[in-house]
Amino acid sequence: MATIASSYNPREIDNTNDIPGRRAPLITGNQTYTSVTEMVCRVAEDPQPRIWWILFGFSSLTAVMFLSLIAFLIYKGVGIWGNMSPVFWAWPIVNFVFWVGIGHAGTLISAILFLFRQNWRTSINRAAEAMTIFAVICAGIYPGIHVGRAWLAFWLLPYPSLNLWMWPQFRSPLLWDVFAVGTYASTSLVFWYMGMIPDLATYRDRSKSPFRRMVYSLLCLGWTGSSRHWLVYEKAYTILAALAAPLVLSVHTVVSFDFAVSQLPGWHTTIFPPYFVAGAIFSGFAMVVTLLVPMRKIYKLENLITLRHLDNMNKIILATGSLVGLAYGTEFFMAWYSQNQYESFTFINRAFGPYWWAYWIMVTCNVISPQLFWFKWMRTNVVAMWVVSIFVNIGMWFERFVITVTSLSRDFLPASWGYYNPTMYDGLMFFGSFGVFMTLYLLFCKFLPTIAISEVKGVMAASEHAAHVEAELLGEAHGHGHHGAGH
Amino acid sequence: MTSPIKQSHIHFAITVSNNSMSLQYDKETIVLPSQWKNKSPILFAAGLALLVTGAVFALFTQGADKSDGVAAFKFVTHSYLANFMYVMTIALGALFFILVQFVARAGWSTSIRRIAELIMSTIPFLAVLFLPIIVLLYANSDALYEWNVRENVHSSVIKAKIDVGYLTKNYFTLRAALYFGLWALMGAWFYSQSRKQDESGDIEHSLLRQKWSGPCIMIFALSASFAAFDWVMSIDADWFSTIFGVYLFAAGMMAFFATMILINAGLQKAGKLQNLVSVEHFHDMGKFMFGFIMFWSYIAFSQLLLYWYGNIPEETYWFAVRLKDGWQYLSYGLIPLHFAIPFLGTMSRHVRRNRPGLVFWAIWVLVVHWLDMTFLIMPNAGPLSLIPLAGHLLGGLGMLFIFFAFFLVRATNVPLVPMRDPRLPESLTYANPIL
Amino acid sequence: MSEHKPRKTSEPKPPRSTGWVAEFSNEHALLEAARKVRDSGYTKTDAFTPFPVHGIDEALGIKPTILPFIVLCAGTTGLLTALLMQWWMNGVDYKYIISGKPFGITPASIPVSFELTILFSAFTSVLGMLALNGLPRLSNPIFTNPRFDRATDDRFFLYVDAGDRYYNRESVKELLSSAHPESLDEVMEDPSPTTLPRPIWLGSLLLVLAGLIPAMIVLNMRAGFSDLPRWHVFFDMDFQPKKKPQQTTTIFADGRTMRPQVEGTIARGQLTEQDPFYLGWDPSKVTLAEVRNPILVSTQDPAAQDPAPAQDPAPAADSPKSEVVVETKPADAATEQKPADPVAVPPAQTAAAPAAGAVPNLPWIDRLPIAADEEHMKLGRTKYEIYCSTCHGYSGFGDGLVAQRAASLLQDTWTPPSSLHLDRVQKQPVGQIFHTISKGQGKMASYASSLTPKERWAIVLYVKALQRSRNATIEDVPVEDRSKLSEAK
Repeated sequence: MATIASSYNPREIDNTNDIPGRRAPLITGNQTYTSVTEMVCRVAEDPQPRIWWILFGFSSLTAVMFLSLIAFLIYKGVGIWGNMSPVFWAWPIVNFVFWVGIGHAGTLISAILFLFRQNWRTSINRAAEAMTIFAVICAGIYPGIHVGRAWLAFWLLPYPSLNLWMWPQFRSPLLWDVFAVGTYASTSLVFWYMGMIPDLATYRDRSKSPFRRMVYSLLCLGWTGSSRHWLVYEKAYTILAALAAPLVLSVHTVVSFDFAVSQLPGWHTTIFPPYFVAGAIFSGFAMVVTLLVPMRKIYKLENLITLRHLDNMNKIILATGSLVGLAYGTEFFMAWYSQNQYESFTFINRAFGPYWWAYWIMVTCNVISPQLFWFKWMRTNVVAMWVVSIFVNIGMWFERFVITVTSLSRDFLPASWGYYNPTMYDGLMFFGSFGVFMTLYLLFCKFLPTIAISEVKGVMAASEHAAHVEAELLGEAHGHGHHGAGH
Repeated sequence: MTSPIKQSHIHFAITVSNNSMSLQYDKETIVLPSQWKNKSPILFAAGLALLVTGAVFALFTQGADKSDGVAAFKFVTHSYLANFMYVMTIALGALFFILVQFVARAGWSTSIRRIAELIMSTIPFLAVLFLPIIVLLYANSDALYEWNVRENVHSSVIKAKIDVGYLTKNYFTLRAALYFGLWALMGAWFYSQSRKQDESGDIEHSLLRQKWSGPCIMIFALSASFAAFDWVMSIDADWFSTIFGVYLFAAGMMAFFATMILINAGLQKAGKLQNLVSVEHFHDMGKFMFGFIMFWSYIAFSQLLLYWYGNIPEETYWFAVRLKDGWQYLSYGLIPLHFAIPFLGTMSRHVRRNRPGLVFWAIWVLVVHWLDMTFLIMPNAGPLSLIPLAGHLLGGLGMLFIFFAFFLVRATNVPLVPMRDPRLPESLTYANPIL
Repeated sequence: MSEHKPRKTSEPKPPRSTGWVAEFSNEHALLEAARKVRDSGYTKTDAFTPFPVHGIDEALGIKPTILPFIVLCAGTTGLLTALLMQWWMNGVDYKYIISGKPFGITPASIPVSFELTILFSAFTSVLGMLALNGLPRLSNPIFTNPRFDRATDDRFFLYVDAGDRYYNRESVKELLSSAHPESLDEVMEDPSPTTLPRPIWLGSLLLVLAGLIPAMIVLNMRAGFSDLPRWHVFFDMDFQPKKKPQQTTTIFADGRTMRPQVEGTIARGQLTEQDPFYLGWDPSKVTLAEVRNPILVSTQDPAAQDPAPAQDPAPAADSPKSEVVVETKPADAATEQKPADPVAVPPAQTAAAPAAGAVPNLPWIDRLPIAADEEHMKLGRTKYEIYCSTCHGYSGFGDGLVAQRAASLLQDTWTPPSSLHLDRVQKQPVGQIFHTISKGQGKMASYASSLTPKERWAIVLYVKALQRSRNATIEDVPVEDRSKLSEAK
């Protein structure tokens, strides 16, 4: 059994700088097509390291606890949560928005960066897409169990019912959510699966056992790598990317509509759609960094997921974090500019009211901590960026908490003001959702290609190709050799 | 798909040493066409004449219509602001484009970047065009900004903003000076670095710009957003929308790419930039234009939906004004004209790779951008009346002429391609994937 | 099984060749060979590569795909489906008013329309890709070559199919070998059986059948009938441990679930039924015989708390009406001098009202419960001018703008508002005026929802001041201000 690919180089190679005109390599260590195949397939073919089993044991237990708590919740009712007048939208909606936000990075990396020809996406898109799917699964659970009678959640769908004789309410943003999150989840799933087909074929062709070969044969649908297939495949991939890019924006936009179409101060503001999208990208990238930093270490993928990839993601975290900060500022300004006393009160109350601690955790983690990424050593130090990414994750959870709870706890009717306290079940279930997420992610690492092998190879070939063309343009003699009948 | 080398027959000789590059090329292909040179005074005069004619025409027709000099003057000032914002948003689009090229270390855009730099360099001139508005404020007129004369203000909301000193002529002017100062400074520095590189070919100039583009984008985002609040949103100082800055940004970016397509196509038609700007660049600019048509629609729809759904009078009246007195035709018209038709028109790859097709849609986009600015600003001046609107249209044309005259002033005796930019070879050889 | 096999393949046909495949170590060699093959006129060709090789479409002469067009059609279908669905479901079939929003297609229909457009397009592009590529295809002759495993790793294969028009076994072999491939093999048909092994299809069938069982159970429960009691999954939801009014209980000695009010306490909101400040009259001075107000009764008389009398058919007949009108009618009778509704008003009062004239038949309070100071006077004036002056006029002569307009229209249904300076109004105690504002009178509506009790009292104060001003003498003016009056003249 192959252990470590011969070309593996454990040293961190700084490929973040490129001299203008000379693109630095995206992957390090003089990789060949075979070594890339080797390096990725090893993750699934070798026995998993001990840390995998420890993590898997822990997270699957947590997931089981989560599922048991859901069963208990359905049996007992949502009263076990801390949701109480006036804060009826509490942790469940906060957790929903938190997970959906995280679920934005994957499709963003696969679709929007694809459209912008950001080739560095190829090493990280598969893992990010997987993370997206699992985060959307965690997100989808919350509104499902929050509807009270969870077994009737299918009433949300517009199906001709002989019992109800009625249709869903299409003017409700919560129904838009059903469509947006449903479309997003299913489209991301097929996008992810379609991207995996060629790599599953690689897994199939490397399988030693007939059973393994049969399973991967079925999964890859008999992919041969035919050029005629590739052509249609690439077209379909491009179309999906072009569809998924606005889809990504629309999902968190619709989530923001849940809040913003109401008249509640602090919710009803027009910047919400782009601000939620920026926040989602921000939290999504932070989660990708949180997952990839240990993963590349455990599976020895440092040559494929290089500092350049991490550096780029940190730059996006910096940019979106600052955008989120700009949105906080704009909201504050407009609360004053609108001269609306309710709006002004809400924002002052957020910063200095009973939930001041949540507000300042949010600002510290979301706006201040990513500013550290202005420094290059922060962007290229794996430990430092991992810590910051966790801070961002915490901050983005608190952002949703601040938006949801501060506005609801101080609504128009002072007589109904209150202070929200979560219960033990709120906390355990949020913790448990991480168990589901991690369990699925670890299983993904064990059984599915964690890096888009064929895309990495395609970029290797393209950069080689570009180097040829450029060398030709620059009149360098040795550029001609391999090019053959190029023109 | 043909190999990229076939698409651009390059006849340049480039030699590369350690960290610099030199290139022998036909100098004639990267300068302004001779028939364009020295046209800026004529264009400027024609633009000014159109602007004045339009204003006078509007003043008289609107006045005759209403027998009301106040309304007519109000119309003219609003028309000027709308036409000014029409070109200002394009110039700001250019500034943002330049900044983002460096923050993303983009290579594809190098050969079209100089044109954008020249558009961006017109910002100091545009600051001069903003002066009439400042003069208007100091002449104590409330024709454009109702908050300028406190005695005539009835709304307590506006009074509060005046009393705090935010919406006052002094502070407004100070802020405008700050915005223009920041933009002009950023523009001038990025342009000067680019020109220095023309001389030395030193990669250091690229690295410096890469380093500073990040902070500059932050400054740009903040200043452009607040400029939109100040200049356009405050003509109706009761109304507010947090997304407003993003709205103008989206509209400006879309119009900027249309402008880029037109200028590049025009220069190529005049025999310039041959082989330097290829169908790939047009394809990419077309994609960006398409993208920002969608982005504008997204932002405009978000603003509309949230206020429509919330149904709070202090927010919806802004739309109510735009949905009566004749303006409803323009407002509803923007849905097909600014979204559906150009969206479908520029969706196909074949259109984006077809120069005449792309030029058609670029003109379309510039026209609807003018309609959009009219939609944002003109309904505040009163009900729609078509005849004075012709004066407004003349003014818009005049402003476009003046803007182009400024561009020509900046472009004269300047190479139109940063020939020694180290990323130029990448820009000359890249090919779009199959989208 | 092992015995079956030889019988089935008793006459083993030699596997047929389906074409030639050449292996290359890099994409440049592949492209070169592909161009050679294309230039020789072969069209039934293919290349197998680990990643999409750019330029291969041109090198092999592959035509562009029609997938984008199919997706465009699907997207349009999605959009139309969404619009039609929303229009029909919420605009036609199931109209439902929600926050005053219009039916049919509105801005609120856009998000779902967008999502369905994307959903239809996305699934069409994936399924269309599979359909156009003929996938899934699990058995492929090319897989018979063991070297082909590297087609998904690092090798590039060029294939010429035997079905090509110009195919000739030898010349194709020669052509391909002239490109110096790493290997050159003939592709043979896959000899393995094409039918599914019995355990697999039997197992699948059983699985599908088992999967149908829950659906059948649900269908049976939905459509069928049963004598058995309902199955309570959530027992504590169906039978909640709570008591409703009028039920019995064993917890309390009197066996009632509803508890009487504890003596000496006031419930929230109860003050409005007890305090003259909220009423204008003093309920403690009336007896049950005078006013049959059930609420009043329940708080006044412990004996009346017994619910039994309420079940008495006789009073029940008129009690609903009296509950509503009793408070206004006496005032009506008193001021308007109209015969009161005999059902609503207790006989004693009906008799008393006409005789008493302006004399109130409720114990009106005659002292303002608020201070008669300048602050209240100002408040009263402000509120009077907002709410009262439209009918009663600024000076209280009943000549407000509404009254003037109504008078000019000469509508005979119009009851003109009273002048506040009529003798009978002048004589009314403050409590009665307060009561009129609170409950309305004749055509005048109640202003209780618009004005707080304090504001109503302030208006009473102001009305009293207005009335007094009509009959003012010089003595009413403070001595020090009398000179100003003469100056003004």
